[in-house]
Amino acid sequence: MLVKNSETDDTENDVEELQEKLQDIKDQEGIIGYILRGPKSASIDLKDPTKIIDYAILSSAVFDVSQNMTEALQMGEVDTILVESEETKLLSMNINNHRLSIFMEKSVNHDKIYKNLK
Amino acid sequence: MNRDPYAIALNNALTEIKKAYPDIKNSFIFTKNGTIITGDQETDEKTMNNILESFQTMKEKAKAIGNLKSFHITGKNGKLTLSKIKDMYLVLATSKNADKTQIYSITHVIIPTILKTLETFAPTHLQSPSTKKLVVDTLTGFFAGDSVQIDTEILRDWTKNNDPRARLNDALTGEQDMQESIDHVRIETSGGNSTLCKVKEINDQNLKGKNMIRIPEKLCKTLEINKGDLVKVKPLL
Repeated sequence: MLVKNSETDDTENDVEELQEKLQDIKDQEGIIGYILRGPKSASIDLKDPTKIIDYAILSSAVFDVSQNMTEALQMGEVDTILVESEETKLLSMNINNHRLSIFMEKSVNHDKIYKNLK
Repeated sequence: MNRDPYAIALNNALTEIKKAYPDIKNSFIFTKNGTIITGDQETDEKTMNNILESFQTMKEKAKAIGNLKSFHITGKNGKLTLSKIKDMYLVLATSKNADKTQIYSITHVIIPTILKTLETFAPTHLQSPSTKKLVVDTLTGFFAGDSVQIDTEILRDWTKNNDPRARLNDALTGEQDMQESIDHVRIETSGGNSTLCKVKEINDQNLKGKNMIRIPEKLCKTLEINKGDLVKVKPLL
């Protein structure tokens, strides 16, 4: 029987579990794709590969800007971020030391996705 | 901060909303061009500018998904909601347990209704202080000319009547002064250099709406400024 007792194993398993969930989410209607960035690696899965750079820049900016804002207003550590445009929205959050950004159409229920991931 | 009647009315509205919704910790309003119109007493100008700067950075990057309509952050100790209302943005920082429906009613019902009402009394839009801080971009090449280039929206803002009393009078009488066009601006650098020069609208579509002033390279050298520097620009009316 395999006994997990190292923190690293737990983290790796958590990330694997997260990636499995992301695979399911990705196939849902209205999901444009996601960017998952860890301390050492990143995985990007977007329906339109031409948008990878722009979306990666936006994803990174969203985390930095949110941190600045929450610091300025003393709101504590960032939990979730939601950016909405006319047709698209972006849900970003920190999970297991990874920065996750999910791009979706505006009609998608982001609360449901959030609950599924947390 | 803006002290015209329109801004004062908005400030009163924010104060009353805060009384009615104690979960609101900070609130302020700025224009899409980055001019702070009004804010509550508790939020200092430094904090507002800090938020504004961060937001402008993100707004630019968010063009990848279209025009930004709203931005929400949930932090460990509170929530921040930034909503586009017409040509303005409302910032609301609330406690973590603030009711979503209440925030929605403020951003989608109360403030838009107040703005609509104010516009009924004063049809012209908000006054912007005439001096703008713009980011320098250098104009190079044979056709650079000797004119600087600024966003059409900023030029349009400047041509609006800037005297609050005249604006109120316009609103009451239903008359409106003929607008003068702006053909010259004064540029002031942080190093203390300044110059008066001709101004045109930015003609490159990709550079519009970026809070930018395009200055011919030769003039940049004279003013001792580089691409990316901030300069103060005001119209010569």
